[in-house]
Amino acid sequence: MTSDDTGPAPGAGPVLRSNDQERKKRTVFPYVALAPAALLVLLLMVLPIGQTIWHSFTYWDGLTSKYIGLKNFQLIIHNPVLPQILLNSVIFLISVPLILAASLVTAVLVYEKVLGWRVFRFLFFIPNVLSPVIVGVLFSTVFLPAGAVDKLLSPFGLSNFAWLSNPWSARAVVILALVWTSFGFGMVVILAAMTTVDPALYDAANIDGASWWRRLRSITIPMISGSLQFLSVINVIYTFTSLFSFVFVITAGGPGFATTTVDYYTYITTFENGQFGYGAALALILFIIVLTLTIVQVKLFPNREVQQGS
Amino acid sequence: MLCLVGISTVYPLLFMALNTMKTSNAFAINPYSLPRHFSLTSFSQLFAQVPFMAAILHTLLVVVPAVVMATFFSALAAFVFTKTPVKGGNVLFWVMLMIMFMPGIVILLPLYVAIAHHGLANNFVPAILIYTAINIPYGTYLLRSNFRSIPDSVVEAGRVDGASWMRVFMRIILPIGRPGILTVGILTFLNIWNELFISLVLLHATNTEMITPTLAQLSGKYSTNVPVLMAGLLLGAVPTLLLYFVSARVFIRGMLSGAVR
Repeated sequence: MTSDDTGPAPGAGPVLRSNDQERKKRTVFPYVALAPAALLVLLLMVLPIGQTIWHSFTYWDGLTSKYIGLKNFQLIIHNPVLPQILLNSVIFLISVPLILAASLVTAVLVYEKVLGWRVFRFLFFIPNVLSPVIVGVLFSTVFLPAGAVDKLLSPFGLSNFAWLSNPWSARAVVILALVWTSFGFGMVVILAAMTTVDPALYDAANIDGASWWRRLRSITIPMISGSLQFLSVINVIYTFTSLFSFVFVITAGGPGFATTTVDYYTYITTFENGQFGYGAALALILFIIVLTLTIVQVKLFPNREVQQGS
Repeated sequence: MLCLVGISTVYPLLFMALNTMKTSNAFAINPYSLPRHFSLTSFSQLFAQVPFMAAILHTLLVVVPAVVMATFFSALAAFVFTKTPVKGGNVLFWVMLMIMFMPGIVILLPLYVAIAHHGLANNFVPAILIYTAINIPYGTYLLRSNFRSIPDSVVEAGRVDGASWMRVFMRIILPIGRPGILTVGILTFLNIWNELFISLVLLHATNTEMITPTLAQLSGKYSTNVPVLMAGLLLGAVPTLLLYFVSARVFIRGMLSGAVR
């Protein structure tokens, strides 16, 4: 039932279906059609990754590079700022349970309030389509000392609080911005998962007099645990890959290095200080972190792409 | 409770819109009041002092070709992966899967150096190609799962009738897969329009600057004149909001097909 289809790739021998067999003409189409995507991805993504890996072992100022072995990594290990930056990443992970909680609560509420649920789904997703730059500038403006938030809180005695000058409140503002822009996606995913839960389960629970909290804990969460895991992993990845814009416009990494993330620090060392080799080593570390998380995600959810009805 | 959360997502937009109409003094006195006079001074100030429309134009110059190419190339790749006999396709798909979430800085270091070395800094072409490339993995991933739900028999029927692969793709896959393809186009548009890092590094001259770097610099310039700042933010958000408003249903459903089992 198999036949050789000699495309341009050496030794290509894909399995053809029997009714394809009579048309055993040599088809180059798949390779031609794949070429643009393959070339762009290989030349502009895979090759640069390779170059970044190579240059992380060099002294590189953007013009000349010289192999220096593990020197960059030794410098990174002894960089007094680095523990702070890694700690920041861990602190920013607080946003993951917050995003999950906000997504879950809003999804459950939207699910129960069947009337107009599309409207709420529509509204909750709005922050997701805004640029982090826009959200970030908005947040940094309203959290200025004596700004809009302070005005709101003045009855509570916080009329002139410099939110972005205190390490913890600055981090809180960044986390809040991330949670606000991200929970809509989680809500949409959870809501879709909930529509696959048999409503009879809820009816039975209602008859037994189960409380709202009890239904959430005993029916909803177990039934959608797959989606919750998926959202956890994806949001952990996002805290490493998508905080750059927020940090850039809200805090510029400060106060001190209190909100500096790995990618923001890499940006400063390379594009502002010109230490490209050192930056490449930092980027490589970030790449390994994200790659590990991606593998976790792919291994946990190999069939994530199974389509969703409704 | 629901309405409260709903307000939290809509109110910031209203906050921007209302405050664009105030003077900076009126804002300083009360940022939450309704504007007393309908005034568009902050918009005219913005246009007079910042090359704002130019930034929008630059962004469109980059976004439009990149969205068209990324979507079309992703659709072709996804078609090849799901419907044609091809060897080695799995390896390429696996590579795409692995680098799908890769932080931009990992590839931008060497790309920036190469681009600057060839005198192509502040040139739109490399930016367009890089934006196209980085949006292909997720686009292909999403469309691959989309095209899988198209029955093979539809494709086989076309092939038996003597249609070329390209014809099958254009006449069968594109129409049937339209919701998914639209979703990928919208996602790619949002990704590029909203992205900061690449535009900041590659297109930093005034005559090439895109919208997000322009907006990021506004906050320093207008921290004391918030209405102008809000005018900028609002205008910067309008294209993405419009796109979302007209396509929300197709978009949300299409996006879920890649995210939900």
